[in-house]
Amino acid sequence: MSRSAIQVLQAEFHTARAKILELASFLDRLERAEGTVEKERQLDLIRQGIAALSEEGTDRAEKVQLLMSRDYDPNWRSNLNVDTRS
Amino acid sequence: MDYIDPHIHMVSRTTDDYETLAKMGCVAMSEPAFWAGFDRGSVESFRDYFRQLTDFEPKRAAQYGIQHFTWLCINAKEAENVTLSREVIAMIPEFLSKPNVLGIGEIGLNKNTRNESIIFLEHVDLAMRFDQQILIHTPHLEDKYQGTRMILDMLLSDSRVNPSRVLVDHVEEHTIRHVLDRGFWAGMTLYPITKCTPQRACDMIEMYGPERLMANSAGDWGPSKPTAIPDLIMEMRRRGHSPDLIRKVVYENPIAFFSQSKTFAGSYRNPNS
Repeated sequence: MSRSAIQVLQAEFHTARAKILELASFLDRLERAEGTVEKERQLDLIRQGIAALSEEGTDRAEKVQLLMSRDYDPNWRSNLNVDTRS
Repeated sequence: MDYIDPHIHMVSRTTDDYETLAKMGCVAMSEPAFWAGFDRGSVESFRDYFRQLTDFEPKRAAQYGIQHFTWLCINAKEAENVTLSREVIAMIPEFLSKPNVLGIGEIGLNKNTRNESIIFLEHVDLAMRFDQQILIHTPHLEDKYQGTRMILDMLLSDSRVNPSRVLVDHVEEHTIRHVLDRGFWAGMTLYPITKCTPQRACDMIEMYGPERLMANSAGDWGPSKPTAIPDLIMEMRRRGHSPDLIRKVVYENPIAFFSQSKTFAGSYRNPNS
């Protein structure tokens, strides 16, 4: 059974609103805190993650996960010098 | 609703937790061997730990009508000590015939290093030589994607490995498809901050369907909630999913996967029969 879009919105609006407020407050705390983190990779990832939320599609969660992940290196075996069975 | 938690570290929990889990519908659980929060110093530490998993915990669980199963290994965090890891791997067969042992686990990677990969492969070889099922730990946070792909590469490069006898745990939105598409079982770990919430787990059930998909609580000594599976059940009910679908994910799928183990097939008692 799947819910309609309006059912999802009505059921989860307050939860989403609360999470946006948490994120907004976190960014405010960063601004208020002494010093700067403008050049920190983590802040850049947070900003890219927020931007990804405004994209369309049904894979935002996957995109944010990949954004926060190290890339897969298909040559990891040779780079780590690990032999695997065949 | 009766349910099975396929990945919960009860050595970290109190006896009160067993009682609570029983009251919430937990009828069976499987407990993979894991990191103790500190690196153990000798193979004898692991021998005692495996005695706890195969002797003490089943008795503690049985007091509340819960069947306790387990998986044995040395975890990835301690795999950097290759000498100790090999001593533990050599000792594991002493316990493989115990009546609650389902297989080798939770083996996997942590920081995706060479030593972790070598010890992972040696665990897989052990499992294949003794015809054991495997339960996999995938890394956390930014290492999860690369580590999961490396684990799948290693499993698929061994022609003896049957993916339907391997459970890859801690999948999230960016790894679940890779696991399921290659024929493995996938486990979603419901954890308060890292890993997955009941809401996101429910999303993945809706997006990928219930085949070869399970949920677990991990319930370890870190911030975790041993009653997380009832939270998922409640979320699925809230969204209007059928009791049949919920039961498949939280009860029938663990039974289907575990039944490939001779130990489970011979000892599991359906509480309703």
